[in-house]
Amino acid sequence: MATEARILPPRVPAPRTIGRSVLLTLPIALWSLLIFSNSFRQPNRSVQIAGLLTAVFMMALFFMMMRTWSTYRWRRWFFVALGILFPVGFIHTVMVMRGTMGIPMEEMIAGRTPFCFMPIPLLILPAALTRTVVFPGSILPGAGMSGGGIAAMFGLWLAITIVVGKGWCSYACFFGGIEEGVASVPKLPKLRKIDPRWRYGPWAVLLAMVLLSLALFEPAYCMWLCPFKAVSEYVAARNTLGLVQNGIFIVLFAGLVIVLPWLTKKRTQCAFFCPFGAFQSIFNKTSVFEVKIDRTRCSPCVLCQNACPTMSLTEESIAQGGTLMSCMKCGACVDVCPKHAAVWHIKGTEVAVKPERARLMLLYSAWAMAVMFGGTIIAQGLATLLHVFI
Amino acid sequence: MKIREKLGYTAAGLTVLAAVLTPFLLMTGLFTKGFAALGLHVDEMYSGGPKVRTIKTGAYSIDIHRPVSPHLLQSEKPFVQLDWRPVRALPAHVSDAVDVDGDGRPDVRVSFDVPKDPKTPLRVDVEALNPHYEAMRDVGKERFSKLIVRVDDAILVRVPLAPQ
Repeated sequence: MATEARILPPRVPAPRTIGRSVLLTLPIALWSLLIFSNSFRQPNRSVQIAGLLTAVFMMALFFMMMRTWSTYRWRRWFFVALGILFPVGFIHTVMVMRGTMGIPMEEMIAGRTPFCFMPIPLLILPAALTRTVVFPGSILPGAGMSGGGIAAMFGLWLAITIVVGKGWCSYACFFGGIEEGVASVPKLPKLRKIDPRWRYGPWAVLLAMVLLSLALFEPAYCMWLCPFKAVSEYVAARNTLGLVQNGIFIVLFAGLVIVLPWLTKKRTQCAFFCPFGAFQSIFNKTSVFEVKIDRTRCSPCVLCQNACPTMSLTEESIAQGGTLMSCMKCGACVDVCPKHAAVWHIKGTEVAVKPERARLMLLYSAWAMAVMFGGTIIAQGLATLLHVFI
Repeated sequence: MKIREKLGYTAAGLTVLAAVLTPFLLMTGLFTKGFAALGLHVDEMYSGGPKVRTIKTGAYSIDIHRPVSPHLLQSEKPFVQLDWRPVRALPAHVSDAVDVDGDGRPDVRVSFDVPKDPKTPLRVDVEALNPHYEAMRDVGKERFSKLIVRVDDAILVRVPLAPQ
């Protein structure tokens, strides 16, 4: 397959009618109003307005997905908003509650460290072998910044994973939007040649971190490697070791989330480093939704391969009519394919026979989750910003 | 429609249903109850281990926890946690001889100042009256196994156990 293939403009189908698009958006509109109805009842005006704006934002994006047949373009707006507004809301909350982004020892001992999804794969082996959760949080509700506790986040993760598998990385992760936003800024990649062996990076990090977490009985990734500590909270630097840890977070964030996405137009942290992403890939095997390549239509022009933000399409996988298990169902390949050979697919059904039906079922599931989880986070961040003005 | 196809669409339909039901299941606390039923507990290096005894000392009390041992390569020492509570009942300077193991003889003498401002860093001296415990001199928040911190309405002191 020639990498210098002529870049063809995608064949854009005629838009759906407005009436039909509205009709298809109606379930999501009702869902958004239901999810944000609690915001409308809050006495704080910035919370009310943020809830309303977020509900409208989520409905509008879904409407555009219906009208234009395009998924990736509109999903990206949601995802970038989530990536930007999560740190805004989170940092504001930690600053108000404890006055610092550093996690003091007192908070760890009190079990009040907010639990994000990243350490989930690291907790499994210690929990299975010793029934111990190696995280300084609280299992039951009533603790942590959100008051949810580890059990609630675990339940949420489980539900979203059952629904979309690795689609978590496109519809739920509140970190990935930063690099997706950065990657979308330059028109063309400055760094085109990427050694495909980097794709094994997340698996290597996952294996190392799982074993290290078991040996040290601590969430090793959170303590040493998570780039997003730079924009959420970090280990309070009590000594030289703490300074080194925080230095690593900043360097990794700058390199993997800002510089490399800018140079490559890829989600480099997700594609080459994130152990949680590797862990989620396993659940692509259990998810009913996937992306397939219809070999009868494929030219092949490698546009999909170039568009994939996580390098989840290779010449071999295209030849076999599918993606690698690291596909996060963002829809970039489906949108860019001029021949409509890259299609949404429900396992067990015939490939490319009713791809729009598969897309709709995926989007209703994924967007319902996105509104409930990501939408709530967006609304919180937006309320924080609005609070400055209102 | 083939059976595989029917199963595929059924699974996809159930997925949509699962997505819609999730917030309601979360609200009922089903996930939380299920997770709690696994009988997991937070690592005692963070939580300090379960409380085993309380010593009443006038207006305040001292809770004594079960000794905590590190796992595998955990870089902490074994320790025992002692909680003084409530903070408002503590004198400006505390100096208590504590019987940690419950044999009727004091094992450590713990001394620390109780500043009025809760944000003021705490420092503690521990004199080992029993060689099973390590002495500490002017210690703040060095390690999880060797510290003094204020958590809510208690002052927690963790005394490392001496190597046997």
